[in-house]
Amino acid sequence: MINMGFFLVLAAALFAIGLFGLLSNKRGIVSLMCIELMLNAANINFVTFASFKSDATGQVFVIMSIAVAAAEVAVGIALMLNAYKMKKTTEVDKLSTMRW
Amino acid sequence: MFESLADKVLDLTGEVAYIIPQAIIIVAALLAPLLYFLTKNGKIPAIVSFILAVGAACVCLGYMHTKTYGTAFGLFEFNAFSGLMMCLFLAVAGLTIFVSPVHSETTKHQGEYYALIMAATAGMMFAVASNSLIGIFVSVELVSITSYATVALKKNDPRASEAAVKYLLIGAFSTALTLYGMSMIYGALGTITLSELGYRFSEVGVNWVVLMGSVALIAGYGFKIAAVPFHSWAPDVYEGASTPVSGFLATASKKMGFAVLFKIFFALFIFAQAIQYQPIQYIFAIIAAITMTVGNMVAISQTNIKRMLAYSSIAQAGYIAIALAVMSQYAVTGAIFHMFTHVVMKGGAFVIVAALITAGLGENISDYKGLAKRAPLVAAAMMLCLFSLAGIPPLAGFTSKFVLFSSAIYVNGEVVTEWLWLILIAVLNSAMSLYYYARVVKTMYIEEGESTEKLVISKVFMVAIALCVIGIIVLGVYPQPLLRLCRTAAIALLGF
Repeated sequence: MINMGFFLVLAAALFAIGLFGLLSNKRGIVSLMCIELMLNAANINFVTFASFKSDATGQVFVIMSIAVAAAEVAVGIALMLNAYKMKKTTEVDKLSTMRW
Repeated sequence: MFESLADKVLDLTGEVAYIIPQAIIIVAALLAPLLYFLTKNGKIPAIVSFILAVGAACVCLGYMHTKTYGTAFGLFEFNAFSGLMMCLFLAVAGLTIFVSPVHSETTKHQGEYYALIMAATAGMMFAVASNSLIGIFVSVELVSITSYATVALKKNDPRASEAAVKYLLIGAFSTALTLYGMSMIYGALGTITLSELGYRFSEVGVNWVVLMGSVALIAGYGFKIAAVPFHSWAPDVYEGASTPVSGFLATASKKMGFAVLFKIFFALFIFAQAIQYQPIQYIFAIIAAITMTVGNMVAISQTNIKRMLAYSSIAQAGYIAIALAVMSQYAVTGAIFHMFTHVVMKGGAFVIVAALITAGLGENISDYKGLAKRAPLVAAAMMLCLFSLAGIPPLAGFTSKFVLFSSAIYVNGEVVTEWLWLILIAVLNSAMSLYYYARVVKTMYIEEGESTEKLVISKVFMVAIALCVIGIIVLGVYPQPLLRLCRTAAIALLGF
């Protein structure tokens, strides 16, 4: 049996990569992908705990969160498209006109 | 009479009875686009949604009156707290829908607009009713995703699309943080049911996994309540969105964030009427102090009225967060009461801004020069809203701030000095906030405008403004009935 720690470290690494990508990247679509990575890191956590505790609740949570993430991306892409039509870019820095 | 009616409803529907208010709002969300595509008239979905929202509020009040409390499917609980919060959300939704048909920025895509507002309201109602982390997560997401779309619905305005993208990225980031935090708590405590969290935490003891999860949750829901340092989206979104939507987000969406924070953190950290881990109180106290100070300081330099109101609502979130730090019944009563008074004063201010935009006035504070002569009633109402936000007696804002601030010194029947510093900061902030509120009043009343012609304000707006002003005055001079309800709600939430 593989130690639970390995799964948790994998999840933490995925979360950290996603966070780094989100903070260092300026492109809107890539930011969405990074957020997806972070959500999946949390899902791995849930599945790991659920399987090691033999408790189905965590797995139900994962199914819910996958559905939520799909909805979020669908709306997200639509909003990016809307912004692209308006300003011909999805780079967050170039979109930004409002400050303070 | 009400009791027998409630019994009949329970007999007919069983457990489903406890989610009837939410079900009514979901029906409204589905009906709105259908009616719009059938009739091509934006007023009809608005009227139907408004009537259904009022109906759902009546059901909530009826249940609360007959004390018909219970849980549907073991997931969604109707108790004094969730019932009262549902009434708050329905009041905000009703106000938003009431003014939207006559507002100039919300003329496009009306079917979708009402559907999204109603879906967000349903999500808020489910969020306060949920008794497990899974229900809270999914409901809050329902609110977030519909809010992103509602902000972007103000088409052909580059500011709206920019605000929507920012809101989406920051909101999705907060979702990821929340989910990660919940997974930590689930891993450490082995349960996601709120009522079991406190007991399991007392068994497991203070460990770093739960604390890390809690910090992630504070950050995640800190975005929802726009607490500093997670507030940067709020001013952009409130400025970019159409004004009724800004009002909706500033009043309802933020209150949902607080309700969820209350639910999770009181369930986790209060067990057997004692606070299990004191440092969490200091985390919230520091967040509250920073939030109110930054909100008020930055509001001073704003020139756009919607942006100024956004920073002022960040500051108000700081005041409400005092209850998270103090964690006593009195403080939670004050926080829930402040949520209600915040709805009438901030909601009222946003409705007035919406009315003036429809009448052709700009969004800048300098556009309000000489408003007292051009629209005397609206200027007077705006003055009342702003003075209430600053906390001037005898208006609603004073009463609720008084309850909230005094609760931090008067904990569980005795005077404590632990939170004296927090209250000093809060009182100083209140004084500071008067500066930028009074500046708007000065612009309206003393400075001379270029134009002196009268503004034509639609009657619908006047009715909505009048309702808010009545709310501000009534809650200010006669707060006892609502305070009693808030107290019952706080007892239902805390369990003591």
